[in-house]
Amino acid sequence: MGKHAVMVMGPAGSGKSTCCRTLMTHCEATGRSVHLVNLDPAAENFEYQPSIDIRELVPLDDVMDELGYGPNGGLVYCMEYLIDNIEWLDEELQSYDDDYLILDCPGQIELYTHIPVMKRLVSHMQRLNYSICGVYIIDSQFIEDTAKFFAGVLSATSAMVQLEVPHINVMSKMDLLGERAESAEMERYLEPDPGLLLEDANVTMRPRFYRLNEALVKLIEEFNMVQFVPLNIEHEDSVAYLLAQIDNAMQYGEDLEPKEPKDELTGNYDDE
Amino acid sequence: MSSSSTAPSNPSNPDPIPAPPSSTDASSSSSPSRHLPVVIIVIGMAGSGKTSFIQRLYAHLHAKGDAAYCINLDPAVSSVPFPANIDIRDTVNYKEVMKQYNLGPNGGILTSLNLFTTKFDQVLGLVEKRAPNLKYIILDTPGQIEIFTWSASGQIVAEALAASYPTVVAYVVDTPRTTQPSTFMANMLYACSILYKTRLPFLLLFSKTDVVSHDYALDWLQDYESYQRALARDTSYSASLANSMCLVLEEFYRNLRVAGVSAVTGQGVDGFLEEVEEGRKEYESDYRPYLAKLAEERRVREEKRKQDQVSRLMKDLRVSGTASGSSTGAAGKGKSATKPSAPAASRGGRAMVAGGRRQMWAEEDEMDVEEEARWGAGGAVEDDDDEYDD
Repeated sequence: MGKHAVMVMGPAGSGKSTCCRTLMTHCEATGRSVHLVNLDPAAENFEYQPSIDIRELVPLDDVMDELGYGPNGGLVYCMEYLIDNIEWLDEELQSYDDDYLILDCPGQIELYTHIPVMKRLVSHMQRLNYSICGVYIIDSQFIEDTAKFFAGVLSATSAMVQLEVPHINVMSKMDLLGERAESAEMERYLEPDPGLLLEDANVTMRPRFYRLNEALVKLIEEFNMVQFVPLNIEHEDSVAYLLAQIDNAMQYGEDLEPKEPKDELTGNYDDE
Repeated sequence: MSSSSTAPSNPSNPDPIPAPPSSTDASSSSSPSRHLPVVIIVIGMAGSGKTSFIQRLYAHLHAKGDAAYCINLDPAVSSVPFPANIDIRDTVNYKEVMKQYNLGPNGGILTSLNLFTTKFDQVLGLVEKRAPNLKYIILDTPGQIEIFTWSASGQIVAEALAASYPTVVAYVVDTPRTTQPSTFMANMLYACSILYKTRLPFLLLFSKTDVVSHDYALDWLQDYESYQRALARDTSYSASLANSMCLVLEEFYRNLRVAGVSAVTGQGVDGFLEEVEEGRKEYESDYRPYLAKLAEERRVREEKRKQDQVSRLMKDLRVSGTASGSSTGAAGKGKSATKPSAPAASRGGRAMVAGGRRQMWAEEDEMDVEEEARWGAGGAVEDDDDEYDD
């Protein structure tokens, strides 16, 4: 049996919800039974109505109004409330057994590092036999040079070491880059060449950081888990490629029973 | 780390590039010991104790008689416990922003900061006026760390300040919450990420040391092996990855300044200020030359842009010259108008340009947008020439 969940994470404004939406559309088009789970209490309107919504359990507005918390404290309160009432999630999840879940997570890095709510959530879902894949999104607009690229790698890694699930880094908004998306510059970040990266980094950073650059480049070289998958929501191919990467990371499809064709759409296995 | 003193920051560092702010402080720059205040940008995760720390720091500085200038950039904070000279909440009401733009709390804060950043030149102006009497400028950033670190406006604010004043980034780490080795690693990786993002002198600040002493952190920072042992007990992550990350972090620590401060007792604030001073030296010796190089590049680019604009204007004028004979003359003189050495010609050229424009208006009732834009560009050049008139 397959229980699969994709956790979409990333800083505020990096395009989490857009990514979720794109994946949803793609999955639906390929006939995969898929549901959106919203875990961000501060989220706004969705194009897809989330099947499970933390705002039904605890809306952030109420918390902020009634308890007098600011947005930060309110968010932390909501997430801790979720963990304390995890049965609610269990119950909700039961209706979507055997479906593909896409989790829209809150962006605040604090929830991953300082306050272990996301980690607890992940281990809870793992106990329920979910295979989970983390998707960390970074806005490609901010990757202007190698130093910024390193900054992105490091913040993604920072979330990754905490959650300990298969992990995919995504560079979003490639469609907004225009010509730069095709340029050799971006290619360098998507398929890093250690030597070139180091050379570049040494140009942008001051000499005292050369050794740090070197160590980082080595990390990138040894573990291709810090590579980035480009996402251009305007190209179906790009979305399909990302989904294939996610599926691969959590071995989706390997344990899938052949389904009775519900209708004429049966292409569950391949995304191409 | 302490080893940073071995960095190539000779006491006899090259003369700092003179007078980065504008000409208004020319009088103060003449004094031999011209002193710029140090900007401390306090960044940290939500709840790590940024604001409390600033409160303590301010009180400490006040007691010592050092003038500090506080800027609050957190639009969502309910009350600021230190006297903020500039408060983003006076400019932007983030609740109102949320309502008007139909945004969530996150978007509201981000948009508020963006709106504020559009007026940051005025902030700089205010700061500049006060700068000669100040010792420190302290910046409190929004609670959600990524709103400052992963946004365009955070970058603009940091760069604008760093362009004028010695700037140090203080990354606040919540000491009691970071005792787990894996949390510690995540936090350090994030800190390292900010270092790469800002490229400014960087200072690690362990807060709340009255609750848990930051000795354990110092031990981990200094002794790679003891951290590795702790990590091996704690994490289930693949050992080789953990080791590689340790290696990265070890290099990171090499260039790191560390201070532990308790906002409650005030312990360690002096140590912090010493580290800030070190950071300032690093700024002077390392960062400023780098900055000068960037500024030079920007100047060249700007120059080129201006040239392009002028030549475009000239081309337009030549086109319109076929319509009326007099404006060809304007084009000829207009060219010389770009040279500051010929103010008279500039004035004449400008008048001609204006005349040519009137003619255009008369001849063509309808101007399309593109043409209007071009005239707009011409107007910009005119404005530039104004400088040379007086």
